[in-house]
Amino acid sequence: MAFTLYLLLQAALLCVNTITVLHEERFLKNIGWGADQGIGGFGEEPGIKSQLMNLIRSVRTVMRVPLIIINSIAIVLLLLFG
Amino acid sequence: MHPAGLAAAGTPRQPSKRRTPVSQPGMADPHQLFDDTSSAQSRGYGAQRAPSGLGYPAPSASPQAAFLADPVSNMAMAYGSSLAAQGKELVDKNIDRFVPVTKLKYYFAVDTMYVGKKLGLLFFPYLHQDWEVQYQQDTPVAPRFDINAPDLYIPAMAFITYVLVAGLALGTQDRFSPDLLGLQASSALAWLTLEVLAILLSLYLVTVNTDLTTIDLVAFLGYKYVGMIGGVLMGLLFGKIGYYLVLGWCCVSIFVFMIRTLRLKILAEAAAEGVPVRGARNQLRMYLTMAVAAAQPLLMYWLTFHLVR
Repeated sequence: MAFTLYLLLQAALLCVNTITVLHEERFLKNIGWGADQGIGGFGEEPGIKSQLMNLIRSVRTVMRVPLIIINSIAIVLLLLFG
Repeated sequence: MHPAGLAAAGTPRQPSKRRTPVSQPGMADPHQLFDDTSSAQSRGYGAQRAPSGLGYPAPSASPQAAFLADPVSNMAMAYGSSLAAQGKELVDKNIDRFVPVTKLKYYFAVDTMYVGKKLGLLFFPYLHQDWEVQYQQDTPVAPRFDINAPDLYIPAMAFITYVLVAGLALGTQDRFSPDLLGLQASSALAWLTLEVLAILLSLYLVTVNTDLTTIDLVAFLGYKYVGMIGGVLMGLLFGKIGYYLVLGWCCVSIFVFMIRTLRLKILAEAAAEGVPVRGARNQLRMYLTMAVAAAQPLLMYWLTFHLVR
């Protein structure tokens, strides 16, 4: 079991890295998940797909710089302490 | 060799005893570890003790008095205490920004009757009719006055009790060691955090306009620890049969409890009439409620099955 908080932090960092790494032009546009492809007018409910696309774009915008810092710290710590 | 080492190391320290920290656990005798090292008195006391080794009662009086009468150290003490007061003010002013203390106080406004009735509701939710939280001029009523309001007292106590009962269960099987307690606690806390994050993510994706705050969610998800404690205790008393019986009962109860509570929060419009409304949006919300409620028994089993042999 041993599902510790540290493991959760590591998993969260990896997940956020994954979301941030999805490239807008090379990948998301090709599968129809680009940020400007989802506007379905002013309907009442955005729907799950457009919420997901919004989420990916927001995470990418917000977490780009903090992730550089956090990843560097994680790399240094893992190199030092394994 | 020990007192000689103390004396030799102590004498050159004496002139600079004001700046020397007291934390020298390897060299001093065990009594020093329990002294209050925050006051100036014991700083002089502790530095004096090292050179004298084990002779602590008599010689400590004069260096102590000399230490306090020194005007520089007086000023230092006054400055230090004013700095501490300033820091405390700053923390008190800003704590509300990071930890919503005033909001948290609402969740702990409970009394014995509420706790008793809520525990009864957690084990037997089938006869309760009205699950709406009463409001009083736009703010929900404190848990003391409304049994349907979520609170954080029961989940917090249940979590701590769960960790202790887990230790007890491991102890009866000769598998106990003190760090396992911390491991159990952080494991349960990690699962709770993961649950909260997963539910918040799904609530965002399904665009539910709900007044379900994060703390409310933590409170609802913490109610399953009560059933877990019951299951493990029965398992300790009556073996696997007792464990499965009680856990099964508690799982079904928590399932019904969560569905009836979350239905009012997530499916607000549809639940008010009590009619199962068709439509993709409501269906999705219903699935979400069922998924959250179904995750509770699974987690209850996952977190306790290794404790009962």
